[in-house]
Amino acid sequence: MQENSEITFLQDGEIRTIRIGKDGFSPTTTVLNYLRASAEHKGTKEGCAEGDCGACTVVIAEPHSDSRLKYTAIDSCLVFLPMLQGKQLVTVENLKKDNQYHPVQQEMIERNGSQCGYCTPGFIMSLLALYKTSNSPSKDEIQDALTGNLCRCTGYRPIVEAAAAACVHEGRDHFSEEEKNVIQKLKSISKDQNSIRLLSGNQIYVRPQQLEEALRFLSENPDALIVQGATDIALRVTKKHEVLGKILDLSALSALKEIKTADREFSFGAGMNLEDIRKYCENIFPPLYKMLSVFGSRQIRSLATFGGNIGSASPIGDTLPVLMALNARIELQSISGKREIPMTEFIIGYRKTQRQSNELISAVIIPKMNPNSIVRSYKVSKRKDLDISTLSGGFSLTFQGDFISAAVLAYGGMAERTKRAVTAENYLVGKKWTREIAEQAGEYVYSEFTPLSDTRSGAEFRRLAARNLMLKFWQDTQH
Amino acid sequence: MKNIPHDSAGKHVSGQSVYIDDILVNTQLLYGHIMYSPHAYAKIKSIDISTASSVPGVHAIVLAKDIPGENQLGPVVHDEPCLADKEVICVGQAIVLIAAENAECARAAEKLIRIEFEPLDAILDLETAIQKNTLLAPPRTMQRGDADAALKKSKHILSGEVRTGAQEHWYLETQSCLAIPGEGHEMNIYSSTQHPSETQAIVAEVLGLPKNEIVVETRRMGGAFGGKETQANHTAAWAALLAHATRRPVSIRLFRDDDQKMTGKRHPYFIHYEVGFDDAGKIDALKFEQHADGGCATDLSIAILERAMLHADNAYFIPNMTVVGKAYKTNLPSNTAFRGFGGPQGVAGMETVIDRIARFLKKDSADIRKINFYETGERAITHYGQEVELNRLPVLFEELSLSSDYYQRRKEVDAFNARNEFYKKGLAFTPVKFGISFTTTFLNQAGALVNIYKDGTILVNHGGTEMGQGLNTKIAQIAASEMGVSLDRIKVNATNTSKVPNTSATAASAGTDLNGMAVKNAIDILRARIVKLMASEFSKSYPAEASAEKDILIKDNTIFDNQYPERKISFAEAMTLANLQQVSLSATGFYATPNIGWDKQKGWGKPFNYYAFGMSVSEVLLDTLTGYVRHLRTDILHDVGDSINEGLDIGQVEGGFIQGLGWCTTEEIKWDSKGNLLNHSPDTYKIPSVQDVPEDFRVQLLQNAPNPNAIRKSKAVAEPPLMLAFSSWLAIKDAISAVGDHAYEPSFRLPATNEVILLSIEEIKKKKNQ
Ligand SMILES: Cc1cc2nc3c(=O)[nH]c(=O)nc-3n(C[C@H](O)[C@H](O)[C@H](O)COP(=O)(O)OP(=O)(O)OC[C@H]3O[C@@H](n4cnc5c(N)ncnc54)[C@H](O)[C@@H]3O)c2cc1C
Ligand code: FES
Ligand code: FES
Repeated sequence: MQENSEITFLQDGEIRTIRIGKDGFSPTTTVLNYLRASAEHKGTKEGCAEGDCGACTVVIAEPHSDSRLKYTAIDSCLVFLPMLQGKQLVTVENLKKDNQYHPVQQEMIERNGSQCGYCTPGFIMSLLALYKTSNSPSKDEIQDALTGNLCRCTGYRPIVEAAAAACVHEGRDHFSEEEKNVIQKLKSISKDQNSIRLLSGNQIYVRPQQLEEALRFLSENPDALIVQGATDIALRVTKKHEVLGKILDLSALSALKEIKTADREFSFGAGMNLEDIRKYCENIFPPLYKMLSVFGSRQIRSLATFGGNIGSASPIGDTLPVLMALNARIELQSISGKREIPMTEFIIGYRKTQRQSNELISAVIIPKMNPNSIVRSYKVSKRKDLDISTLSGGFSLTFQGDFISAAVLAYGGMAERTKRAVTAENYLVGKKWTREIAEQAGEYVYSEFTPLSDTRSGAEFRRLAARNLMLKFWQDTQH
Repeated sequence: MKNIPHDSAGKHVSGQSVYIDDILVNTQLLYGHIMYSPHAYAKIKSIDISTASSVPGVHAIVLAKDIPGENQLGPVVHDEPCLADKEVICVGQAIVLIAAENAECARAAEKLIRIEFEPLDAILDLETAIQKNTLLAPPRTMQRGDADAALKKSKHILSGEVRTGAQEHWYLETQSCLAIPGEGHEMNIYSSTQHPSETQAIVAEVLGLPKNEIVVETRRMGGAFGGKETQANHTAAWAALLAHATRRPVSIRLFRDDDQKMTGKRHPYFIHYEVGFDDAGKIDALKFEQHADGGCATDLSIAILERAMLHADNAYFIPNMTVVGKAYKTNLPSNTAFRGFGGPQGVAGMETVIDRIARFLKKDSADIRKINFYETGERAITHYGQEVELNRLPVLFEELSLSSDYYQRRKEVDAFNARNEFYKKGLAFTPVKFGISFTTTFLNQAGALVNIYKDGTILVNHGGTEMGQGLNTKIAQIAASEMGVSLDRIKVNATNTSKVPNTSATAASAGTDLNGMAVKNAIDILRARIVKLMASEFSKSYPAEASAEKDILIKDNTIFDNQYPERKISFAEAMTLANLQQVSLSATGFYATPNIGWDKQKGWGKPFNYYAFGMSVSEVLLDTLTGYVRHLRTDILHDVGDSINEGLDIGQVEGGFIQGLGWCTTEEIKWDSKGNLLNHSPDTYKIPSVQDVPEDFRVQLLQNAPNPNAIRKSKAVAEPPLMLAFSSWLAIKDAISAVGDHAYEPSFRLPATNEVILLSIEEIKKKKNQ
């Protein structure tokens, strides 16, 4: 890994090289702040600096194959500049060409999709990503693509209609004409730039291309902060104004983005983003799919990773309860080898896990669903979408005949960590799954937890809802 | 011309619309930063900035004592310091201003500033304020008839309480201002303000300068909703003070969390009611006591309270009615204007009363509404004496109950609820009647300056501001059609206090009504000049058959004699000619709403120019185990008179409804026991997302209902639709009530979060099982 102070990416059709530490940018300068510092890119707006409003949405294009690019909308307020390395950054200024509006712009104009206009550049970019990836999308798909963009003026209806009207050209536009060209240019960047190692002031930012390099760096620098999607970590910079010292960015490791299938299980690379996992899981792990469908927004899921959600070990991390219910195992890797820990044992305290400081989470292994089990997931939040769980649940019951032989009732948001309702589980084992039993299990859940009252809700709501989820689980499994 | 897109739409979608923070300034621009109070109420014992001043990159640190003019921001009452001096009265109150080369420097300096406080007992909620009677102003009363006497005679009496929560404006663009010092004392302010004239006045006051030194310009706001009616002045004053201290341009754009912590919200209300009615549900007597949480300063609280009282009747004739209004001081940021301006709180009280009566009598609430609607004659007079003219309530009710299939769906909802235990549906039909005009009568005035250039293009200046509502688009449409030229000849300028002085805020939904008329007035003057000139010019060539002024018309960019159509000239050529003939092509226009006025003390008269009406039917599906609500369908029929621009008007109706829906459901604001705002970012403050729009959302404008009292027979539209969201709010209550087969009155409040809903359901289940 050689040291360098530059990162290179494609913007406005040109290869752009930024000297970190020089041009006024640090390794943790966000793409949003980079854009807003230039006179030509004021179109991208800041509405929150925390991934909740989408005003800062830009599109990242990366080669998907030799001739195609993949376009992804992300929140530029959460992305550190080095993460652009070798990619194309598309901003709202790039859509209009030869005085012609892009179809998504044209439809937004004609359908009164903007009022004050401040959210509009962000919507345009989410619409562009949708335009490039989906033809004649359904209303659900459109809404999903726009969940990460807040608008306080319009009431959204015209924007949804603009999306439906615009996305009918199979993604053809001036970007498609340029694709081959862009891929050529991106290849020329990746040839001479591999792993990045940036030194700037008292910051070190390392972004290796090989897993081996990452493991070695980690064993030599156990104090390094691991970053993947940065949707958690970036907030420390944008909201708390911390200066992060030593960063190990795993987002370039293709080794962590693989899915391996075996007879009895699937292994998901910890670096996979949650949107890709969501799509993959729709049929094989419906409870995970359901949970990921109300996880953050499209922009967040395209950045956020499995490893990051598990690594945060937050008591309200949404994948944790459902992974426990699915009997998943966490694969950890260090320079000296691999080991696996059941998800139910991995979290040991408030944001504390069994991971050693020289290890990284390399994969999440999920056994195929047992036909004798029923598994469901639930998320309760004030707003259904793009909200953090007030509480969540991942439940599984395994049956022998009519009787419950094993139970996992994992709850998020009810304690300092994702926690199983053990007395309720014990109660259920050996019982039939009837309404009375479910309600009684609910009573155990109610008395088992002493949750907090906070901004999201009072403790009593959490306990009542946690209790009721048992009845809901029962009702959902009656057919 | 009815569906002209927003005049900035092309710029919006390509990122070319310039907001304050996008203005390019030379490299001398400084970053303005505000250090604010961490205490709700405390004495300031000392402030030490010595180490902070020496941080490299820091250009100025300004304290209250450094303010050259008056340390005041209060728009009506002077009870709001620009910078805290001896004491702080809320968390988020500005104490120190810092100008630095960038944000990092400013934050580094802030960390080194030492302020010693002596905390005092703060009042942090309305209940305590009511107990301690911390009134901001003497209580107000509006009354008609004798409610007490009538109550005694009423067949049925119910009393109860309604609580409505605060609401954060959550404009996408936070409070922003760029101040650029000019030569001498000049200060140029680019502000995201709804009220440039007042921003100018406040900046002049804090700088101790006459107003003619200060120019305020507002191109557009990235949303405002009332939040930039007075509170944009704060950011402008701070930027101006720093620019004054450094003699350099200073820009401030509040960080989202700071904006949420520092600025005021929609006033929380506590409303007590006592209502008397007969077996049919017809109301004979009603008493309301409205209590408003004004926050730490007066701001607009009294005017907001007044509007809440004026809307306590919503759409109903109540023969004997008394409304008492009180606004209290608490140690929270001063609450302020928010779309509806007190109206929504007043209406929430009234709609709750109707809902209670219906549940009590076990009747359909729509029927209770219908028999209490304003009618004609004596039953058209409000509790403050104004007649409800051109009453659209009957026609709206009739059309919407048909188009929404209300009565059939009521049966279906009941049937669904009988079949389902875990899911319940709710349905509600609610009206709104909203008075249009500033209730402070003199504010109902507007000015314009219209310039025509020699090439025939027209520059329109007016006192209104563009915040997304499409005011400038409508103004351009009005100007084009009044002048007889095409829309592409018109440009509407950024609002600028040096072009049109002494204007009112763009508020009270009256932007188009007032400014449109002022522009029309200016154009009438110009057209008269042009007509006079062209009559005489045409006559020169035809001395025998002179052109008469009355026959000169302007249409489609052409000026011609209607009697002799061959006598014509293009508009542009005519303007060159006018210049040669020494005719002035610039005119100011003015408008003041006629025939309104009322006695505020007595609470009697005609405060409003006219009323806007609307109705809505909403259906929701409730998951009774989690309190989660799905908004299945909403039908709206709204009255905008003859719409000037249907696309824009529908946008206001939909946007207003969704904003109201947020206030009624997910937008919850909490403070901790020290007065710290807990929901200070979108992480925990949840405005509606695209997924929260009713799944089936049908919005119609009432057709064939011209309004004789406003420009081009249109009606104001911005605020009233917000209150249509009460249909969703009460539909939720209806669904909760269904859990107990409508036998128990549900505990309910606003917002009806999933928590409020679930707790209410659990309470009903307990009662049912007893
Ligand atoms: C707007 C917004 C909405 C959100 N919504 C949700 C939601 O609905 N549900 C939810 O659960 N979370 C949500 N989050 C939180 C966050 O997005 C998730 O926790 C996400 O999965 C983190 O993944 P990441 O790759 O971005 O993590 P990063 O920010 O890169 O890292 C997060 C943590 O995990 C550690 N880590 C990352 N990768 C590894 C690895 N391979 N090995 C070991 N440690 C590692 C990091 O050191 C860090 O401590 C939201 C965040 C935002 C900003
Ligand atoms: S600024 Fe709000 S999501 Fe990035
Ligand atoms: S148009 Fe104003 S926030 Fe969307």
